[in-house]
Amino acid sequence: MRRQLRSRRAPVFPHSYRYRLDDQDEVNQNYLADEEEEAEEEARVMVVHNLEEEEEEDEVKEEEEKNEEEGQGQPTSNTWWRKLQIMNEYLWDPEKRMSLARTGLILVIYFFFYASLAAVITLCMYTLFLTIGPYMPTFTERVKPPGVMIRPFAHSLNFNFNVSEPDTWQHYVISLNGFLQGYNDSLQEEMNIDCPPGQYFIQDGNEDEDKKACQFKRSFLKNCSGLEDPTFGYSTGQPCILLKMNRIVGFRPELGDPVKVFCKVQRGDENDIRSINYYPESASFDLRYYPYYGKMTHVNYTSPLVAMHFTDVVKNQAVPVQCQLKGKGIINDVINDHFVGRIIFTLNIET
Amino acid sequence: MGQKTPQIYSVELNGAKDMKQRDKGDDKDKYRGLRSTCLELRKNDHKERVTKEIDLDDHKLSNKELENKYHTNIVTGLSSTQAAELLARDGPNALSPPQETPEIIKFLKQMVGGFSILLWVGAILCWIAYGIQFSNDKSSSLDNVYLGTVLALVVILTGIFAYYQEAKSTNIMASFSKMIPQQALVIRDSEKKIIPAEQLVVGDIVEIKGGDQIPADIRLLFAQGCKVDNSSLTGESEPQPRSCEFTHDNPLETKNIGFYSTTCLEGTATGMVINTGDRTIIGHIASLASGVGNEKTPIATEIEHFVHIVAGVAISIGVLFFIIAVSMKYRVLDSIIFLIGIIVANVPEGLLATVTVTLSLTAKRMAKKNCLVKNLEAVETLGSTSIICSDKTGTLTQNRMTVAHLWFDNQIFMADTSEDHFKQTFDQSSGTWASLSKIITLCNRAEFRPGQERVPIMKRVVVGDASETALLKFSEVVLGDVMEIRKRNHKVAEIPFNSTNKFQLSIHKTDDPTDKRFLMVMKGAPEKVLEKCSTIMVNGQEQPLDQSTAEAFYTAYMELGGLGERVLGFCHLYLPADEFPETYSFDVDAMNFPMSNLCFVGLLSMIDPPRSTVPDAITKCRSAGIKVIMVTGDHPITAKAIAKSVGIISANSETVEDIAKRLNIAVEQVNKQDAKAVVVTGMELKDMSEDQLDEVLSSYPEIVFARTSPQQKLIIVEGCQRQDAVVAVTGDGVNDSPALKKADIGIAMGIAGSDAAKNAADMVLLDDNFASIVTGVEEGRLIFDNLKKTIAYTLTKNIAELCPFLIYIIVGVPLPLGTITILFIDLGTDIVPSIALAYEKAESDIMNRKPRHKKKDRLVNKPLAVYSYLHIGLMQSLGAFLVYFTVYAQEGFRPSTLINLRVEWEKDFVNNLEDSYGQEWTRYQRKYLEWTGYTAFFIGIMIQQIADLIIRKTRKNSIFQQGLFRNKVIWVGIASQIIIALILSYGLGSITALNFTMLRPQYWFVAVPHAILIWVYDEVRKLFIRLYPGSWWDKNMYY
Repeated sequence: MRRQLRSRRAPVFPHSYRYRLDDQDEVNQNYLADEEEEAEEEARVMVVHNLEEEEEEDEVKEEEEKNEEEGQGQPTSNTWWRKLQIMNEYLWDPEKRMSLARTGLILVIYFFFYASLAAVITLCMYTLFLTIGPYMPTFTERVKPPGVMIRPFAHSLNFNFNVSEPDTWQHYVISLNGFLQGYNDSLQEEMNIDCPPGQYFIQDGNEDEDKKACQFKRSFLKNCSGLEDPTFGYSTGQPCILLKMNRIVGFRPELGDPVKVFCKVQRGDENDIRSINYYPESASFDLRYYPYYGKMTHVNYTSPLVAMHFTDVVKNQAVPVQCQLKGKGIINDVINDHFVGRIIFTLNIET
Repeated sequence: MGQKTPQIYSVELNGAKDMKQRDKGDDKDKYRGLRSTCLELRKNDHKERVTKEIDLDDHKLSNKELENKYHTNIVTGLSSTQAAELLARDGPNALSPPQETPEIIKFLKQMVGGFSILLWVGAILCWIAYGIQFSNDKSSSLDNVYLGTVLALVVILTGIFAYYQEAKSTNIMASFSKMIPQQALVIRDSEKKIIPAEQLVVGDIVEIKGGDQIPADIRLLFAQGCKVDNSSLTGESEPQPRSCEFTHDNPLETKNIGFYSTTCLEGTATGMVINTGDRTIIGHIASLASGVGNEKTPIATEIEHFVHIVAGVAISIGVLFFIIAVSMKYRVLDSIIFLIGIIVANVPEGLLATVTVTLSLTAKRMAKKNCLVKNLEAVETLGSTSIICSDKTGTLTQNRMTVAHLWFDNQIFMADTSEDHFKQTFDQSSGTWASLSKIITLCNRAEFRPGQERVPIMKRVVVGDASETALLKFSEVVLGDVMEIRKRNHKVAEIPFNSTNKFQLSIHKTDDPTDKRFLMVMKGAPEKVLEKCSTIMVNGQEQPLDQSTAEAFYTAYMELGGLGERVLGFCHLYLPADEFPETYSFDVDAMNFPMSNLCFVGLLSMIDPPRSTVPDAITKCRSAGIKVIMVTGDHPITAKAIAKSVGIISANSETVEDIAKRLNIAVEQVNKQDAKAVVVTGMELKDMSEDQLDEVLSSYPEIVFARTSPQQKLIIVEGCQRQDAVVAVTGDGVNDSPALKKADIGIAMGIAGSDAAKNAADMVLLDDNFASIVTGVEEGRLIFDNLKKTIAYTLTKNIAELCPFLIYIIVGVPLPLGTITILFIDLGTDIVPSIALAYEKAESDIMNRKPRHKKKDRLVNKPLAVYSYLHIGLMQSLGAFLVYFTVYAQEGFRPSTLINLRVEWEKDFVNNLEDSYGQEWTRYQRKYLEWTGYTAFFIGIMIQQIADLIIRKTRKNSIFQQGLFRNKVIWVGIASQIIIALILSYGLGSITALNFTMLRPQYWFVAVPHAILIWVYDEVRKLFIRLYPGSWWDKNMYY
């Protein structure tokens, strides 16, 4: 009966064919099998047939065990091993009777397919690069209006220190010193030119020509340059904080008015900060530092700075400070972005 | 040999263990004993089981005993107060509807089924991630909470949607099953009252008359000429006489019990209600049906398979990249968030809802074609059907006796049996016809119900039995107003048909005023009628009935009988006026008139003719590879004749008996291999073992089961299912309901079907027409194909959604596509297009291929997954990445800068991140750029999904063969994609929570060349499939 059932279902391969039907995809294809495959199949059938006869003489239980053994060709079989084998077949040999050449063929086809895809994407990327210049970005609307950052900056916008304990502010000093190395007068004089203040430093000529940069000397920062007071006022409870506007290629403050910096108490008593000294005294970024031509050609560009010297701040209490940029075309009240045109930090100076 | 292996495989991947087990050799021996016991149990006639269960003995009691038992009075009935008490005790006299799954369970099932679990996991991970973040840093952003909430919302909304769809389709059915409340004439408080049948209680005395449905199980106390139609209960198609005598121990056989929901055909009766509601016999059978497990629909299995594949891919990629992320020194929290992203990208959130919509669209379309689908998934089941077990009466046939042949003047004439055109073309000039027509008209007790003058003759309602109805309609069509003719030929005496006489006789005055003779007309079983005749009318002339004419008669009789037709003989006699004067009083009991030497006039044969659409439908089924098996309670000869005429047994195939007859050898000598067809009777079936039945089912392509009890239908269905077939079963009676339920798809008849059958079925044929099943099959197959396309379409973009995450983790570029944005693709732009694919026309004649094998032809097979994921999906990701890179590069971040930028990019306190041009970006500016990147990637995918949508229109044919504009809905889909994208980018671009920004118009076109490339590539694929069918390419690239 059992054999009849089988033969009815799989007339081409009369015996023990079904045990290998575990791969569904294969089933559809079997009937279309090549002749050589059929020959191979027959050979298998012969072996299988003999085994089957042996089995039939055995007890049912034994037969089952034997089945497992023969089916796996493994003396110690367990479900995990079988699963692994199925998995293995599924992954590496989905078409069971596929010869090695065919596996190779698939690999070759996929190789060419992906290679041509890679070629296509390379071509596309190449075209992309053709459309964008290396010196100037195509669009700058996302990076405008400029953002603002302060120095010293160490992961936090809270300046907590105790005047009498140098350990609490020493790292600010180090950070500022490090940052200002690039502004050393000698370096600036050597690398950059002293261009006339109060007007844009426009350099015409080809995009790819190297551009000159204007000097911004450390000494411009006077009391906050760290030259006279190497502790930047931290030792006296009058900290210097440097403010830098983010670089934007081609950015020019509108209508020739330089961008100014203005700080005040953000929340609370206005009198918590009684005086701030700005260096340069104009509290502005001079026009001569604009426009910026991008880092490819404007190699030595030095970002201008404005130093805020908080000379008289209420001690022993956190004072939120907001420093804003002021000028035409400057936006400093974007709700989501607290760093565009303004910066907020707190000073908590203990004595 | 190694049967274990496939079994385990099937457990793992097919989830259909038991089906496979049945085919496998070894286990058979082990289980054989067990199963044969089952079989015997099953073979125990349901009748007996039902009888045992209900233990009814009221039929044995005398009237007095009954009165005592039910505290009632046969004359006065119950009192109203008694009745009210009993009603309160027993509940209304109605079948309780089958146990419904509580709505809340159905709802919860929708909430956790399919991908929902994965999404819940994602949502919960989100909240956990936030919890961890929050415990570390109180000010951490709420992004993860939002994402988790959105995921939960998605699950809940899609769940509600699916639930709503389900509920809607169920409601159609609910409204359908609402029936006009049945009335019952009951004696209470010594008064006859008409009350709703639902209020009947045991002990009520009810009166019934012909045409009524019996309102409860009743024990007859008085009956006159009462006949009932028990076919819905026992399958006996002949009317059963009822009387008040106790005739059989078995309550189902005894004549003094009438059963709930059967119909009283004629006569009147009074009975006492002995069982109401679920305690009736019908109630017991109906509850039996609910015991038969509902099979899982093939499409449900397919979708489960698909969900497993996708979930498997999602989880394995997710876990793989979780491990990669952790080993790349990402924080575990970040890795969890990656995992969520990967899950969300991999799960086609909108797909299951789309499938539901697609199915319900098809269900609607099928309802228009008279197939009302109760269970949405059954839509596809019909498409994968490989065996239809069809009823004969009503489904294949018109369910009304119709005159098919006439024999007079030694000639057989054919009558038209089609449904509507009733043009009779036989020779009506002969004198014999004049006489015959008179007999047909006069010897007939059937009458049209009054008030139907405008109704076409064939549709009029007739009071009378089936053959008389056929004759009445036949004569009405041929002769005109029959009632008028009868009036002119006044009836003076009549003997109605009864089974002992086997004839019917009436005596009339003639309409010829000059002829004072009486005309005696008679019809009946031909041999009985012939016995009484001495002459035969040929060409209007009486001739003596000699040997040769008698022989001619028998030849004709045998021929007509061999066609499975019911043959009636007609004869008449003009009673001599001298012996029978006008005033003669005929006494039908004394038979004071001659009963011999009559004049034989002719034969008429009737059959319940096949519906005219059926043969065509059967041919279609056959070419569609569907085996149609007829299962009927009728005689084998009739069954075979109908089977032959509709093509269930094709013209050139023979049964073993046919061959034996042709070769003139004994049946046993015939080589069974030669016979293509077989007619199996219920008796033979009873003696068959399960294996023998399997043998019959598999070795004969054309099978008719005749004289089967409806209970045997269940055995046949199970036999078919053992052949791995998807079985459709049609049925109308209560007793069919177990088989209907057992079948993969049960089809109940909308007109003739009983409520129980409709309840058990998955589908209701509103016009009871077999041809409607074929259109259903066509729709079902189409929807399977189209679902494949929908799924391929939906799966494709999963890769494009997944790649961003993988690239983000491995290469460290800013995230190209946000999780929320993915949801907008899955549940926004892609929804309408994937539904639109359901409107796609078939690529080739889907009715010319074999039904899909439910275990081999999967909905989602390897080529589909590979082609969608690794070919088109990959191309799509490349295209989308191109848009992404373009946006970043043009804004200042060249691809080379982007690599490994992730850490700095995402630091909140870095507000001066340098780009490729030395510009410095604040965190929020970067975030905004990132969202622009999302939008760009989104647009890239959307543009390429348009191409994907177009290529998915066909799987094999070129798009240009299929016609780019034939399916207008596709273009609606494309328009919706574009419009939704426009709205998201430009309309809602300012709402930051959605992470969309206004994108420069030119970026919309960056992916267009890729879209075209996809189209071209797919056309090439299809071209090779068409050029080299069966080749390696075909096998691996055709999904």
